[in-house]
Amino acid sequence: MTLFSLAKKNMIGNFSSYLVYFISLVFSIVIYFTFVSLQYSKKIQDSIALSDIMSFMFMASSIILILFVAIFILYSNSFFTRKRKREVGLYSMLGLQKKTIGIMLFYENLIMGLLSLVIGILLGTLLSKLFSMILIKLMGSTAEIDFSISIGAIIQTVIVFMIIILFTSIQGYRLIYRFKLIELFHAEKKGEQVPTTSLVSTIIGVILLTLSYFLILRPFPDDLNGSYIMKNYGLALVTLVIGTSLFFRSVTVYLLKLSQKNKSRYYRGTNLIETSQLLYRIKGNARTFTIIALLSAATISFFGATYSGYYGNEKSSTEDVPFSYAHLSKGQEFDTKIENIINGDKEHPITAQLDIPIIEVKGKLSFDLGYEINPIKLISVSSFNQATKALDREETIKLSRNQAAVIKPRLTEFTETDFKGKNITLDQTNQKLTFTTMVNGSVLPFDFPDFYVVVSDDMFTKLSKQLTPLTYKVYEVENEKTTEATSLKVSRLIDGDFQVHSSFYTEYKEGKEGNALNLFIFGFLGLVFLAATGSIIYFKQLTEASENKSNYEILRKVGVSKKALRKSVNKQTFFVFGLPLTVGLIHSSIILHFITNFLSNLIGASIIVPILTAMGAFVIIYIVYYVLTVNTYHKIVNK
Amino acid sequence: MKTIVETNNVKKIYGSKGNVFTALEDIDLTVQEGEFVGIMGPSGAGKSTLLNVLATIDEPTSGDISIDGTSIIKMNEDQLAAFRRDKLGFIFQDYNLLDTLTVKENIVLPLALAKMNVKELEQRVDVVADKFGIRPILEKYPYQISGGQKQRTAASRAIVAKPSLILADEPTGALDSKSATDLLESLKTLSEQDKATILMVTHDAYAASYCQRIIFINDGKLFTELAKGKETRKEYFNKVLDVLSALGGGANDVI
Repeated sequence: MTLFSLAKKNMIGNFSSYLVYFISLVFSIVIYFTFVSLQYSKKIQDSIALSDIMSFMFMASSIILILFVAIFILYSNSFFTRKRKREVGLYSMLGLQKKTIGIMLFYENLIMGLLSLVIGILLGTLLSKLFSMILIKLMGSTAEIDFSISIGAIIQTVIVFMIIILFTSIQGYRLIYRFKLIELFHAEKKGEQVPTTSLVSTIIGVILLTLSYFLILRPFPDDLNGSYIMKNYGLALVTLVIGTSLFFRSVTVYLLKLSQKNKSRYYRGTNLIETSQLLYRIKGNARTFTIIALLSAATISFFGATYSGYYGNEKSSTEDVPFSYAHLSKGQEFDTKIENIINGDKEHPITAQLDIPIIEVKGKLSFDLGYEINPIKLISVSSFNQATKALDREETIKLSRNQAAVIKPRLTEFTETDFKGKNITLDQTNQKLTFTTMVNGSVLPFDFPDFYVVVSDDMFTKLSKQLTPLTYKVYEVENEKTTEATSLKVSRLIDGDFQVHSSFYTEYKEGKEGNALNLFIFGFLGLVFLAATGSIIYFKQLTEASENKSNYEILRKVGVSKKALRKSVNKQTFFVFGLPLTVGLIHSSIILHFITNFLSNLIGASIIVPILTAMGAFVIIYIVYYVLTVNTYHKIVNK
Repeated sequence: MKTIVETNNVKKIYGSKGNVFTALEDIDLTVQEGEFVGIMGPSGAGKSTLLNVLATIDEPTSGDISIDGTSIIKMNEDQLAAFRRDKLGFIFQDYNLLDTLTVKENIVLPLALAKMNVKELEQRVDVVADKFGIRPILEKYPYQISGGQKQRTAASRAIVAKPSLILADEPTGALDSKSATDLLESLKTLSEQDKATILMVTHDAYAASYCQRIIFINDGKLFTELAKGKETRKEYFNKVLDVLSALGGGANDVI
């Protein structure tokens, strides 16, 4: 019998324990391949305008994925070898040379790796088709996606995984050299020490977590700069990671031990079995819990934030480009040309059409605002009120003589008290204006500096004698979300009037595409993390189940009913799933709270709904994993 | 005196048509309260099957078994579990201690399952721990103590809930002679002073000589019975050896 065939027989003989490892290998490959083939898909790259950003995003994500996939495979590999140490020890006892055993394990790993590579790529091809359809759907694009196999994606996947597989195979070869025979035999028996709690590390853990939350939640200082962000949030991240790790290592042990102190609860029913089993394994579980809690926190936060962006896109587009079309008047001929194009679109009839005259002038505030204001854009109160009416907004203002109102600059968080009663002096005319109010909702597309001041009609007329006003022509049409063709024509003629687009549709579409892409990538990564964290817990619980089998047998003999045992399994598994998830959820709410503060102006929409959706989805998938784990666990221990 | 165990025509057949193996045949057995009864016989005679059937872990093919006046034949899974919890105590050859629990917690287990209040529970543990001399190791974990200590822990767990019947399956099998003697002395005291009913399966004639009565099984049938009466343990031991050699095969287990 050759070594190769011995390795082959091994695999067929120990099918079930290989299966778990094999499935995680295939799973990793499928995920990676799907992602890479999306990256390589021409159609996807063509169908969106933001190809540069896209390829960058995909590149960054694929690096994260490689890291993640590598860790995941190494984890399941160590799980797998741990189960087989005894077998390896037996070979050695029977007189096989170390080198022979090593080579055998090497082959075994290699065969499995290659097999899973083939299967993974085949499955991945199917899945990538599905995912590209989802992406296109999210972006609202109509492009067709072919079912094509990307050679580039296959090559990249093969290279990445061959490296990983070779690494694990070499690890397998070295297994017999790394451990003494006696260690191989006692691998599964080695009892984990019951952890000792130190009060100090418990307190430090709680303090670090509190500190981290404080750092994340504290309001921005007046002088917000890069180094503050680096220091503050860098420190927050470090304390969060260490704090979480200490939390699982000490705080949970402390709490479990505390629950043991309450004897009348502890010595009641199966409580002492569950508590002691959790305590017994907490040390080994602490690291997994930490990783899972942090990964879930990151996934929920990013996913929540990106989903909010996608969700709030319409609102933020309306804010950035209030009218369906807006352009600077460039003479009769040009203006008529635009008007004809818009008028020619019968599917989107014009509901309002206005001329908004604007005076651009430099000026000086009587106070330090911390926002660039020059050139200031002046707009007359009657134009402003007409425009708000055309946009179906409620807010109208009244101003007389040298009274003025600020339109809240977009992407800022100024409030009325920042301006009220304060003055501005305009250059050239030396005219002094007094702010009486601040209004929300600009009427022209975003253009930095976004500092519009509404002045009284008299003042506007007076100023326009010295300074020539510019005229903006704006149109509002019905169904502005679908004006693709007309918008394209208009955009060709008028680009560069504003920093954002002149037409609502272009801004909306671009935002939707960008957000959809983010949503897709984070959604995809989130799904991977979720599936992987779920699987890690699943594997861990199943290993435990097979190790605990004899314990459950004893319990049955001592007179615990199957029902009670099932309950006990449920309780323990609930703890194992619930604890990291809860910590992850709390972390992510804190982070999302921060992101909301930071982004709500950019997004301009309430993000409660999308965040709750993201959390809800996360919890539901976890529940599915929980049910699956409980059932399998029960099957193993309660046969 | 109360009858604790009563079996009528108990039969246990393994396998299905064509390939049947009769493990127990027509076993009629009666054990009174406070008796310390041994079950002996060569390997494959059906000792363990009998014990498992009495322990309600396995069910007989036919026949009736009553323990402490209750028939266990028609009980369902949950009723059996509750019955085991309340009426039976077990001592196994390989101890069967939960390695995640301390010695004390292992002993407490049956009481906790029965939801006894803490005060009484602590008291019972103390009494039992003193009886078996394991008070100093109560806070240790099973992997920190010796085999003899483990078995005494298991015995403590078996009796702490004051079960009607204690079943022991080769309890001295993995112990050295000193530990074995300690355990057997304890069991004997238990039956004599506390009126505990003990049924012990053993291979070991020395262990069996601590019993008041020994039931010999061969090929699934009752072979004979040997009561100790007024004899000394030494004399009884020799008689046991005689029966074993008559049975054949058993004598190998003497040493």
